[in-house]
Amino acid sequence: MKTNAVIRLMSLLAVCVCSVQSQTPEVTPADLQAKITTNSVILKQPHCYFNNTCPSCDIWLVPSLSSATSTFDADLTNSNILSLSPYPSAFNTAASKNYFLTRVGPLSAFPCNASSDALYFVVGADGNCGTVNCNGALPTGSIVGFKYLLVNGSSIITTTNWSQNITLATPQNYQNISGAFAGRSAAMVVITAILCAAVGLLLLLFFIMLCVVCCRTNDSKQITGKSSMRIPRYDTHNLHDRMHPYDNPAYEMERHTVPGKTHTIRPVKNRK
Amino acid sequence: MVSKGLGCLMVTVVVCNIFAAAASLALMAVAIWVVVDAYKLYPISAGSGKTDIFAAAWIAIFTGFAFFVTCLFGIFAALKRSRGLMLTYLIIMFIIFIFECASAITAVTNRDYLVGNSNLVKQQMLQNYAADTTQGKQITDTWNKVMQDVQCCGTDGPKDWIDFQSTYQSTFGTSYPWPPNCCKKLSNSEVANPTNCRLGQNTDLFTKGCFQYIESMLSRYVWVISWYGFAVLMFVFFMLLLAMVYYTQLD
Repeated sequence: MKTNAVIRLMSLLAVCVCSVQSQTPEVTPADLQAKITTNSVILKQPHCYFNNTCPSCDIWLVPSLSSATSTFDADLTNSNILSLSPYPSAFNTAASKNYFLTRVGPLSAFPCNASSDALYFVVGADGNCGTVNCNGALPTGSIVGFKYLLVNGSSIITTTNWSQNITLATPQNYQNISGAFAGRSAAMVVITAILCAAVGLLLLLFFIMLCVVCCRTNDSKQITGKSSMRIPRYDTHNLHDRMHPYDNPAYEMERHTVPGKTHTIRPVKNRK
Repeated sequence: MVSKGLGCLMVTVVVCNIFAAAASLALMAVAIWVVVDAYKLYPISAGSGKTDIFAAAWIAIFTGFAFFVTCLFGIFAALKRSRGLMLTYLIIMFIIFIFECASAITAVTNRDYLVGNSNLVKQQMLQNYAADTTQGKQITDTWNKVMQDVQCCGTDGPKDWIDFQSTYQSTFGTSYPWPPNCCKKLSNSEVANPTNCRLGQNTDLFTKGCFQYIESMLSRYVWVISWYGFAVLMFVFFMLLLAMVYYTQLD
């Protein structure tokens, strides 16, 4: 019985805890490329963040530098809180409060059952605006936190917790992009190495060829006489035309084709 | 026997020369294609100051044609069985060989420099897109065309425009975080959905980076000049060896 009571108490407490505002503002989970830019953030819309039913209430947003969240919390009790830190002077001097307040919309525009990840609220949509509570751009590259407020008229009824710190993008100088050497690809090494080797080899073989040809002509020049006799057949007198052991096959062709050029030595036949 | 071998060698040399003439004519044709720059990426190459890919293509046009003419001369020299002509042929081929080697090596080296990684192209884009110089206008036009045709944004993605300072941002940065050409456009060149474009909704903003396209198109040029040139050169190398052997067999 006691455990049953404890369980019932715990579940009741859990329900109570859920009904208390524990939602924190968060960056939209939708797939938007400009979620966090240098001076703007896209947040999820505050559906079901406040449980109060208040027909004339509005939801306001406090974008603040992460270093100034305590300043805002200290100023929370001030009755002029809505216009205490106007946007134009919120970030520009050393004495600035580094937060500003801007109206998101009426509480009735954000009912629980219409909650969706696709709905978003752009902080900084108004750019460099001049009114007190405009949705102005955030300082470039700063670290910011957000808090939603439930406001009735000009008094704050309740607030959410501070969101996690969100770091805005700091644009780097493009000159700093390292133009360092990207490295050599394998193709380049292969092509260069093989082609250079081929050129060298060709040159070498070319000179070898020239040497070989020159040497060969020199050798053959030493041996041949001025008017060399090409003797296709040399028959000595004792052979009697029976056999021709001294035929020179190198001049076989000349023996048959160019009879005028052949220096065939026919010995005088001594026929008795 | 010797003359039969010589005849065989002569026929081989002649046939190889015919093939080399055809191949080098094809080299000249593809080099002309590269010079014509079908993908209109010359300004990106010129922005870096080194247009060696296109210089190599010009050299390849001339060496391709020279190879063609010299190979025809080589056929004539081989048929004539003349030593003097063959020697002339070999010397001329060797000179053209060296120039074609230079073309192939230059093309592939410049490719590594330009598109080895995305840094150079990104730096150029950030510096020159929307700049008011002549080079700026050319690069802006090139990038606009690429971004719309290929449906991409920035070099590595649209975040490039957020993460880095750029000429575009300092000139137009307040209205759009990235150029309107990064978004889907209607047929009358207006942005289809300006709100979604500004927010970066992936139905309207192109989230792919353009570097992959630029790198693959420039690589296509380079592979044509360098690898095909390399193939022609290897064939010519062995043909020249054959021609040198033929030369030594001539009397």
